[in-house]
Amino acid sequence: MTTTAIKSSGTMAFRRKVMKRQNICLAVVGILLVIFMAVNILVGSISIPFSEMMDILLSHETTSTKGFIIWNIRIPRAIAAGLGGAYLAVAGLLLQVYFRNPIVGPFILGISSGATLFVSVVMLSTISLGFTMLNPFMCTLAAFAGAYGTMLVVLSVASRVKNGVTLLIVGLMMGYLCHAVTSVLVAFAEKEKIKGFVLWQLGSFSGFKWTEIEIMLVAGGAILVLVYFLAKPLNAFLLGEDYAASMGVNIKLFRMLILLSACALAGMVTSVAGPVAFVGLAVPHMVRLLFSTSDNKILIPGTILVGAMVISLCDFIARMVFSPVELPISAITAFFGAPVVLSLLMKRRVDI
Amino acid sequence: MNTQNTILSTRNLCVGYSGKEILKGVELQFKKGEFISLLGPNGAGKTTLLRTLSKHLKTINGKVLVNNEDISAMKQERLAQTMSVVLTEKVKPPLFTVYDFVAMGRYPHTHWSGRLEKKDDGVIMESLTMVHARELVFRDLSTLSDGERQKVLVARALAQQPDIILLDEPTMHLDLKHRMEVMSILQRLCRDKGICVVASLHDVDIAAKLSDKVALVKGGAIQAFGPPENVLQDDAVTQLYDFSNASFNRMLGTIEMKNSEKKGKVFVVGGMGSASVLYRLLAKKEYHIFTGMLHKNDIDYHVAHSLGAHCLVQPHIDKFSEEICKWAKEEMSQCDWVIDTGFGLEKVNGDNICLLKDALAMKKPVLSLRNGQSREHFTALEYDEIHFLDDECQLVDEMETITFKAT
Repeated sequence: MTTTAIKSSGTMAFRRKVMKRQNICLAVVGILLVIFMAVNILVGSISIPFSEMMDILLSHETTSTKGFIIWNIRIPRAIAAGLGGAYLAVAGLLLQVYFRNPIVGPFILGISSGATLFVSVVMLSTISLGFTMLNPFMCTLAAFAGAYGTMLVVLSVASRVKNGVTLLIVGLMMGYLCHAVTSVLVAFAEKEKIKGFVLWQLGSFSGFKWTEIEIMLVAGGAILVLVYFLAKPLNAFLLGEDYAASMGVNIKLFRMLILLSACALAGMVTSVAGPVAFVGLAVPHMVRLLFSTSDNKILIPGTILVGAMVISLCDFIARMVFSPVELPISAITAFFGAPVVLSLLMKRRVDI
Repeated sequence: MNTQNTILSTRNLCVGYSGKEILKGVELQFKKGEFISLLGPNGAGKTTLLRTLSKHLKTINGKVLVNNEDISAMKQERLAQTMSVVLTEKVKPPLFTVYDFVAMGRYPHTHWSGRLEKKDDGVIMESLTMVHARELVFRDLSTLSDGERQKVLVARALAQQPDIILLDEPTMHLDLKHRMEVMSILQRLCRDKGICVVASLHDVDIAAKLSDKVALVKGGAIQAFGPPENVLQDDAVTQLYDFSNASFNRMLGTIEMKNSEKKGKVFVVGGMGSASVLYRLLAKKEYHIFTGMLHKNDIDYHVAHSLGAHCLVQPHIDKFSEEICKWAKEEMSQCDWVIDTGFGLEKVNGDNICLLKDALAMKKPVLSLRNGQSREHFTALEYDEIHFLDDECQLVDEMETITFKAT
């Protein structure tokens, strides 16, 4: 018994060491995130001297041109980018855990193309559903409905086939279908509407209003809190639904909670920023390798911070490289993210 | 029946998938500390039964009771504190150490955040110790061998501190060493911890030796349920698996393989265990075996009988009766070879040496494994006729050369 006691405390010490390392990792990522967001606010196509910047920030002055740029363009954009990255990354993590499949993400399962389809219906068609003005809420609502509808179709198939590859093909087919309908709508749409839609489709965090950010913060924040409370059942899902059930997880309830959360997060970002590729797929992998764990209690905060950080960096690049021309954010995320994930996987030789 | 210690039982249970009945009228009672094996051919419904007992499948009819409480009315978490499972599905969560994995078993005992207290750590390490997997604690789950992984899976189930563990084919894909190790671990869980272990198994021989009770699952029902000593009769097992070229012998506790008998007839004169290995070899090489004269308590009789050999056997231990000697001589005259296994020459066995002398008189080819002094029982003339050989394999080779000469 005494040897057991000694060895047990050994594992406790080991776990404390691992936890300490993970906390340091979290802190470093957090600091990097703050730096990137600050840079996003400080640097732009119009250069503003640092002292003036501080004045504007401290006095909350929005009347001058520079004050308007800072308070109504740069700051909302920096925050939106951070939130968008965090939400997409968490949505990807949830889906990867639920499907026990490393190559699923909001994009691959057709959630984003579903959202795109519904947004295109609202933006391109003459169906205004009684609204005379194109309401940003309508757009958000449409994207949410699109994401949710696609997810329901994929899920209803998933419950029948229980085969990862089939499920991915279903997602792919949903994507093609949505794309087909969208392209028909584009063919019939008015020119000026198409431009708005194409710009939306490229994905961008520009032009955010404070009201949108408030909604994203409150709704998304609530979901993130919920997701953090789901960390324990999520961990159980890593072993598959059967084991999870045998350990006391209420499968039906948590399945719905996980999928609805993922859907709500992905749909929310897609609706306001357009389809932003790759983040949902890649960030969870980066975080797993960075923290070298599958424990969702660490992965969830990790994914939030790394997702926000990655998107902040990518948005900065999208804005600045060919300034004043802006690059689509999806292009940047893929350009930089894919090689990073590949090299991480090669180096660690981890079979994920 | 004493229901006091009954921990898991079924009442008129009907199991199956989506309305399709697979097993009907299942009445089982499992007690604390019992090792129960579910035996039956593939597709008989063992897994379906286990999945229903673990509440993974809904019952079509009837009830499953844990501590006299219907599990369909039980909260999932409370059931998880009483019952844990080891499934056949491959679990490969990425970046999981063995410790993390076993710690998952603490799920129903930790609060919402899943934080592990010192007590949990103790249970995890004890579980690993019980399955001899302590040294694996910091290894990554994906680097384990099949045998090591199976032990870790059992440790995870143990960490749930259950009263019942259900295992679906726990020895599948394991080598002999790990198969025996896992089985003995499971048995110790019953004996030392008082856990009720229910496992579906394919090795009848191991199940018979380890389990307290066995349930035979076949043909849409539980064919029999009880101690293996009662249930596993030769015919019951042979029928359970529809053996056509094999048979189970409960005394030997093993399965003997029959074979086609196309290579010609051979008469084996044996007894007292001297012929058992040879019988198996001859059956494997597709000879038609006749043997005698044996007493019914002889292991040679049990092996030969299971192999489907034609046995001349006498129930009581005494000198062989004249009648049986006559039959033996008759059958021997039909055979192409006669083999002397070098059996011991006690009084009750004495007539067998006469049988060999008769064979020589009939000019049958006689092959012998006899050595040393006991060869002196043959006359010099007889001695020259006999092919003396050192072991069974040489003997069978020699038989083939004799056929060759004859043709």
